[in-house]
Amino acid sequence: MRTRALIAVSLIGLLALLLFGLEPRAGAQGGGTVVGEVKYQGTPPAPGMLKVTKDTEVCGKEKTSTELVVGPDKGIQWAVVSVTGAKGSPPKPAKKPALDQKGCEFHPHVLLVPAGAEVDILNSDGILHNIHTFSTANAPFNKSQPKFKKVIEAKFDKPEIVKVKCDVHGWMGAWVVVMDHPWHAVTDAKGTFKLENVPAGKHKVEVWHETLGKVAKEVEVKAGAETRVAFELGKK
Amino acid sequence: MKRLLGSRFLQAILVLVVTFVIFRFGIQPPAPWSVVTLYMAIVLLSVLVWVSADSDSWRAFLAPIRATLVEERRRPLLYALLGLLPLGVGYYAYLQAAPRTEAPVELRVIHPAPPSSITFRGKTLDIQGLENPLRKDAATLEQHVREGGTIYVRNCVYCHGDNLDGQGHFAHGFSPPPANLADPGTIAMLQESYVFWRIAKGGPGLPKESTPWNSAMPAWEDRLSEEEIWKVVLYLYAATGQEPRRWEHAGGPGPAVVSGGGRPPGRTLPGPAAAEAQQAGDAALGRRVYERKCAYCHGLEGKGDGPAAELLHPKPRDFTRGLYKIRSTPSGQVPTDRDLFEVITRGMPGTSMPAWPMLPERERWALVAYMKTLSDRFQGEPPKPVEFPKQIPASEASIARGKEMYEAIECNKCHGDAGRADGPSAPELEDDWGHPIKPANLTRPWTFRGGPRREDIVRRLATGLMGTPMPTFGETVQDYKEYKKGESEEKQDPKVWAEWKDANLWDLANYVRSLGPERPNWATFLVVRGVEGEIPLDPAAEFWERQPAANIPLVGQVIQDPREFAPTVDQVSVRAVYTSEEIAFHLAWDAPTPSEPDPAKKVFADAVAIQLPVKLEPTERPYFLMGDGARPVYLLTWRSDGGVGEANATGLGKLTPQHGEAVQARGQVAYEDGRYRLVIKRPLETGDANDFAFPAREFFPVAFFAWDGSNGEQGSKGSISSWYYVRLEAPSSRRQFVIPPLVVLLAVAAEVLAVRWARRQGAGSR
Repeated sequence: MRTRALIAVSLIGLLALLLFGLEPRAGAQGGGTVVGEVKYQGTPPAPGMLKVTKDTEVCGKEKTSTELVVGPDKGIQWAVVSVTGAKGSPPKPAKKPALDQKGCEFHPHVLLVPAGAEVDILNSDGILHNIHTFSTANAPFNKSQPKFKKVIEAKFDKPEIVKVKCDVHGWMGAWVVVMDHPWHAVTDAKGTFKLENVPAGKHKVEVWHETLGKVAKEVEVKAGAETRVAFELGKK
Repeated sequence: MKRLLGSRFLQAILVLVVTFVIFRFGIQPPAPWSVVTLYMAIVLLSVLVWVSADSDSWRAFLAPIRATLVEERRRPLLYALLGLLPLGVGYYAYLQAAPRTEAPVELRVIHPAPPSSITFRGKTLDIQGLENPLRKDAATLEQHVREGGTIYVRNCVYCHGDNLDGQGHFAHGFSPPPANLADPGTIAMLQESYVFWRIAKGGPGLPKESTPWNSAMPAWEDRLSEEEIWKVVLYLYAATGQEPRRWEHAGGPGPAVVSGGGRPPGRTLPGPAAAEAQQAGDAALGRRVYERKCAYCHGLEGKGDGPAAELLHPKPRDFTRGLYKIRSTPSGQVPTDRDLFEVITRGMPGTSMPAWPMLPERERWALVAYMKTLSDRFQGEPPKPVEFPKQIPASEASIARGKEMYEAIECNKCHGDAGRADGPSAPELEDDWGHPIKPANLTRPWTFRGGPRREDIVRRLATGLMGTPMPTFGETVQDYKEYKKGESEEKQDPKVWAEWKDANLWDLANYVRSLGPERPNWATFLVVRGVEGEIPLDPAAEFWERQPAANIPLVGQVIQDPREFAPTVDQVSVRAVYTSEEIAFHLAWDAPTPSEPDPAKKVFADAVAIQLPVKLEPTERPYFLMGDGARPVYLLTWRSDGGVGEANATGLGKLTPQHGEAVQARGQVAYEDGRYRLVIKRPLETGDANDFAFPAREFFPVAFFAWDGSNGEQGSKGSISSWYYVRLEAPSSRRQFVIPPLVVLLAVAAEVLAVRWARRQGAGSR
């Protein structure tokens, strides 16, 4: 009788340990959250408009430039916020990262990809596109993706910010951010971002934008708490 | 055998045959036919003298001939000879009687006597006894040579070439061709002051006997200072490893001569192909060769920023990025050592990168080793070449499959529907350095950077050209086959898959290669054909397709400022016909877009011009670049914003259009798939003193100009050609059909007489 009770308690204890002990919880290992927004300093310029001269049935007649996308509250979209010099391993995403070409635009404009993971590059347009990457740490490549090639697989091994371009449609551009640790985020349409489970302590948080450059700030992260950071980027 | 050799006749034949073989194949380089014919005639005479030395010998010589003419058993041989001989002679007569047009021989003095003194920018210089002042100081000599080299690659390289061999990338457009300075018959035979005179005064400074109107050599006096010209002269001698001729009075030791500033001339034939395994070259030697030969364009650090780079298009490669176009390795990888070696040896057609076979093989491998140190992308595993698909011959079926692939992949987006690089994406293309770049014009395979052969094209498709928008299509064809397989299953038509299951990149390459010839076939002169009836104004009329076309190369105007170093139009195809009333020219040239003039954006109208002298003179012509004050030219012009017209000019930029009633030329233009076609017609006689009157039976000169407005070309910035000879074709004569039969009849008659005579002789002697 006692042996059975002992076994039962041990099993329940083991189960509890398994369920609650090993599973990392928010704040259970001393991580905090960094939130904030990236705003444009000064008056944002009007977005550039480009005339489409080919494949207008698929691409439309005009395209807005994606080089600088500023929302009504001056929030800058597509800026990448990361904790510099953080030690960690690349995150495991829920599903395979994908870069889609739709309506002659890359979706998303900035894609976060863990180092060493495979990326699906999709052509949802049914016309010729090509994937031309510009990188130094990773081997650059230039592969054609005609209408009958729906998916190209690519792999990026080294942490880097890789420019991707389509030469057939010169306005099409995207950025692949190859992560070697999980603390990266891309600002949304309002310019806000959220970095979760950042280890407690002093960190340097950096924001990168394709035309406005880089800005870094010192941040003190407290376990289980939210730290606010605001960035302002403007024309240099 | 001995009896055979004893026969005088056969001995004579043997002597003739052996000497012919020696003359034809034993003399290297091969002697011209006229020389060989002359020698053989002398040998024949000698042989005849020898065989007729005494009557015995003569009889022995004639014996076989007599026997053939008389004997029964040799009848078949006799009949065979009797039949073949008149036919042979008749054919020769037919060839000779055919109406032939050959450009008249133009004699010019290559090294005319220099004037005793010249005026250089107001200063008088005595040519006699003038020495290069920069040779006096040995300490600064090396530096002056290098500065001369910098001036050379920014001014002279386009014609005289990177190797000073007269093979610059514009050289093919000029006649007479640019001088081969490495040839021992040019600057090595001349004093430096002579060379100074030639550079300073250029073509216009030549005396009449050297045809100054044809010479594309600019007069550099207006752009280079005296010291700069002396520096260039130093560089010319140093780079070709030659010494100038000295004046006789020179006493003591000659002035310092630079060695090592250039490579001694003399062909080193490329050795046997190196093994496929990577050859270890000596990077230190490579660096020395690089600094002497390559740095002027590619820069001392390999960044593609040498002094020549600014005016070159396409730009010299920046090696530090490790991105190479011509490789055998997959996209993203660096080239193999062999790839680099091949590009150095063969050069890149259509660019200013020359071929370097004159560098010893050891030095070329050394360069490869050095180039690999310029980018750390070469570190790591050596790259492996892409697998070559199985060769498919260029059959009609293969080309049809290739065409289908071309359209399914949509290569036309850049390369255009007809391959003329006029696709809608072409104008915005940039290379990886942000410079504008043009897609290849597939109707011009001789300009393909990696070579025009089918295997070269397959390789480019499989590897892509790194650093440019051209992607790799290696997997694309596989994907298309998958797609075709699916289609075959869907339609339940196994024939579709049967046709496609063995398809590969070769089909696409076969189609691309079918779009143009491997070599350009430049014309040397033009013939205006005589026709009957109305000449159609429509450039697309079938009438024009039937006329033979002459391809005239056009090159950049790099002679007078402002110069055009990267013109768009590189060729014009010319057809010309005339009737008793009119003469008409049909021109076809490639241009990527019809230009819409917008001076604010530096876009002007597209234009062409046909240049003729105003007056035809027997010995002199107007200067080929739109004439001069003493000899104006007449032009038939067309502009995209003004139509057809006529004009006169007395020099570049000094064009006076004719107006109103004076313009009797009419024309029509059509633009399709990246190509302009234009017909310009004019009455043969216009009665206008400013117009050229076409002579009936003489050669007259013609030259061509073209401007692509989208490239900012107008005025002196455009494409030009040299003077070409042209004449109105003489009306066809019956000579060709009358003379040969007469000749055959005469030959037969002669034979009959010969046989009769021989038989009578034979009968008489029995």
